[in-house]
Amino acid sequence: MHTFNSIIALIIREFKINYRNFSDILSIFLFFLLGIVIFVFSIGENKEIFNEIGIGIIWTLILLSNNLSLRKFYQDDFNDNSIILFHISGLSYEIISLIKMIIIWIFIQLPFFIIIPLAVLLLNIETSNFHIIFLSFLIGSTIITCIASISGSMNLLNNKNFAIGSLIIMILSIPVIIFSVSLINVSDELIKAQLNILLGFMFFFLAITPWICAACIKLALQSK
Amino acid sequence: MKFLINPNRFNNFSNIILKPLIYLSIISLILGLVFSLYLSPNDYQQGLTVRIMYIHVPSAWLALLTFFIITIYSIIGLAFKISFGFIITSAVAPIGATFTLICLITGSLWGKPMWGTWWVWDARLTSVAILFFLYLIIIFLKKSFTNVNIGEKITAIFVLVGSINLPIIKFSVDWWNTLHQPASISKLSTPSIDPSMLRPLIIMTIAFTLIGILVAIIRIKAEILTRKLG
Repeated sequence: MHTFNSIIALIIREFKINYRNFSDILSIFLFFLLGIVIFVFSIGENKEIFNEIGIGIIWTLILLSNNLSLRKFYQDDFNDNSIILFHISGLSYEIISLIKMIIIWIFIQLPFFIIIPLAVLLLNIETSNFHIIFLSFLIGSTIITCIASISGSMNLLNNKNFAIGSLIIMILSIPVIIFSVSLINVSDELIKAQLNILLGFMFFFLAITPWICAACIKLALQSK
Repeated sequence: MKFLINPNRFNNFSNIILKPLIYLSIISLILGLVFSLYLSPNDYQQGLTVRIMYIHVPSAWLALLTFFIITIYSIIGLAFKISFGFIITSAVAPIGATFTLICLITGSLWGKPMWGTWWVWDARLTSVAILFFLYLIIIFLKKSFTNVNIGEKITAIFVLVGSINLPIIKFSVDWWNTLHQPASISKLSTPSIDPSMLRPLIIMTIAFTLIGILVAIIRIKAEILTRKLG
């Protein structure tokens, strides 16, 4: 019961903090929209081109905007030591990282469900299978959140090389991008197989991420 | 076998083995080059370009093997808190990166006359390119921490995450329809390659392995020395 209370308290705290700093999160979405505008200007307003590569552009920008969320996971709590307080209140680091991932997913990935249709409108993509785009994003965003959490926990003590965190996210999310982008153009019989592969990736990352993050946080706390 | 995890024993062992290893690697490299350049036949389809194989295939094998060794030593270092594992990782990763780069470059040189293109985005080539980037990130990640101890541990964790790529590379030619041919030499079946071509390939593999071990030993000794000084 005590652990349950601490979990609820941590969730409420995270909600409050993210709600108060909502402008940070809004700027990530602004980055996404501005990226789409830049793409439109750099490629030229050609409907057929965007019909073909639009989904790829959207996925690339989702990945890049998730790179910006890297330091929102553990960095602040690590710097002011509140992550130790969570641990003292009876939560293991695995649970903490799981809660953090859920909260970040709600605050950073969920609003993309509103923004992706807007981006599809802006790029003039004519698609009939909107549900496939959403489904692939639902699975892919979970994986990207896991990867961003791994990268964020690895770079807690890294104050020299800021690009390496984004590099880790990008190299680990290559399979996600491959399978979720090809999901749009694949034939109907293969959709189920591709979805299963993506789901496999998702469960794999959901299973390993808390352990990796906990190990990295413990290492960082030891040598702080 | 203590020299595999103990720095002092490793130093003693490497002092014994270093000289013979130098001679052996030079001899086997010369022998392998002679065999692969003069004493092996041209392919009836590929002609002279088949000789690229004698560099391409050994470096590809060693690139994979190096990552496997790094993974094993990262597990040893993290699980049993043996710092020699981290020494190996930081000393051997650049060698693996070099082998991967050699594999990629010779592969694209081979691909241009045979497939008509330097590069295709098929599963084998992509996964090997990812392997190269993984090696680079391993090298950079260790250097981006001011505290060396945490840097090498975090790097070891990243190596464990990145080792998912190894089975993907190995089985990429079987799982997907790739332009890259499937493996000609496997443990379970007789090799589908002619003995006259298999011979130089094996000699070159031995030569590459010996050179790799030689460079690795020198790098590991240097790494041990720097740690003793620092």
